[in-house]
Amino acid sequence: MLRCARLVCALGAVLVLLCLTVGVRPAQAAGAYVQVFVRAPYLELHTGPGRGYPVFNVVDRDASVDVLKRYTDWFKVRTVGGVEGWVAAQDMEQTVLADGTPFHYDVGDQNAFTSHRFEAGFFPYGDYGGASALSAYGAVFATPNLAAELSVGEFLGKSSNGTTVDLGLVHIFYPQARLAPFVMLGTGVVRIEPKATLVQPEDRFEQSAYVGGGLRYYLTRRFFLRGEYKEHIIFTNRNQNEQVDEWKFGFAFFF
Amino acid sequence: MEIRLRILLLTMLLGLAGSLSGCATLRHLFGTAAPAAAPAPADAGASTDRSADEDSTPPRVIQPEVERRNLKVPRIKSEDIELGGYIGTLNIEDFGAHRVFGAQLAYHITEDFFLQAEAGRSKAGRTSFETLSNIALLTDNERWFKYYDMSVGYNFLPGEVFIGRNHAMTSSFYILAGVGATDFGGDSKFTANFGAGYKVLPTDWLAVHVAVEDRVFNSDLLGVNKLASNLEAHLGLTVFF
Repeated sequence: MLRCARLVCALGAVLVLLCLTVGVRPAQAAGAYVQVFVRAPYLELHTGPGRGYPVFNVVDRDASVDVLKRYTDWFKVRTVGGVEGWVAAQDMEQTVLADGTPFHYDVGDQNAFTSHRFEAGFFPYGDYGGASALSAYGAVFATPNLAAELSVGEFLGKSSNGTTVDLGLVHIFYPQARLAPFVMLGTGVVRIEPKATLVQPEDRFEQSAYVGGGLRYYLTRRFFLRGEYKEHIIFTNRNQNEQVDEWKFGFAFFF
Repeated sequence: MEIRLRILLLTMLLGLAGSLSGCATLRHLFGTAAPAAAPAPADAGASTDRSADEDSTPPRVIQPEVERRNLKVPRIKSEDIELGGYIGTLNIEDFGAHRVFGAQLAYHITEDFFLQAEAGRSKAGRTSFETLSNIALLTDNERWFKYYDMSVGYNFLPGEVFIGRNHAMTSSFYILAGVGATDFGGDSKFTANFGAGYKVLPTDWLAVHVAVEDRVFNSDLLGVNKLASNLEAHLGLTVFF
């Protein structure tokens, strides 16, 4: 009965979401779109948002189109005659706004890599004291060099599993360089679930601190690769603290 | 006597009429008041003053007081994020095939590549051994097969499917591979996943997916360490926003 109720609730939620999405669309006022004017000899409209979709219509020079939405590097536009089609971003760069300024679509570049406000990333490859580790992070930048960072991870090993949450500061040495080194310092908590077959030990919840460093390599647009090493000190209530080495490698993007 | 009375009454009437004729309130009461006269003489006087001014000072250059309008360009709506759910069948190795529910969230980087996160759950049945011996290897709670993963996907063979002469829908095959974790049998396992799918978009913002994925992890659940392969086929519905 409970499962049935949950299923009905889930279906209801999906339906409400769908209705909301459908309902929101017509509410967009006709005047709320960006209007651009063609400055190239013509503007090609494709049937779909991809390089292989055929061109089925062209818009003449000086004519205007409304930009309805964007999907990756493709813009859906509507002509004055009401024809809708997809235009590639590089073709959109050949258009101007109503005040004559060129239409520009910001896809991110190395300057933005040097100085940005937020970034986030995922590390699919990681090693936490011999255990496989997965983690993700988000960072807020105060200056191009300095950021506060929150990282959440899970490690899955032979003797124990666990989760980690780290909060710390990152200092990037040459943020303007394509390959930029950085150092980190911070604190965190770790939850360790030991595996045992005979006795069931209790999960441990410990505080930790870390120091580390790594490299960031700008790829393209808003994306970069990131590899790092952290040395964690786990403060146990036994005589000795534990030291855990963590390596990880992944990709990230900024915005 | 009669004449005196008549004179008195007439005198009172005249006096009353004389006093009422000067009462502005009563004039309005009967609606007979003429509209207020326009102060024409005052205006005439002003106009003569202005003409006198114009004679003495040079004509002023027109100074436009129109402020430049800052055009606010509306934000272009992007639809790079895809969110939805799916339902399908997951074949949990040794524990039979069972219904699986899940949610997926994707971010489309380019028309070719996307990142996708998935989370799903299914409930395992009984192994053949359990059925025959009537011994339960796992508790009811341990039979929940819960997973999450992060994958990189690649769209290939993009195209269009046609319904009749007037309707075309964009479509694409895709492959994806990633890593994640699976919680099953009282243990969490590092899991690799890979698969392929096909999606059709009835509108720009709605997609129907059919996908097959394999989730592989090292399992020692039945006493022998082996690579457990859990094949999943699902039908999904997602919304772009």
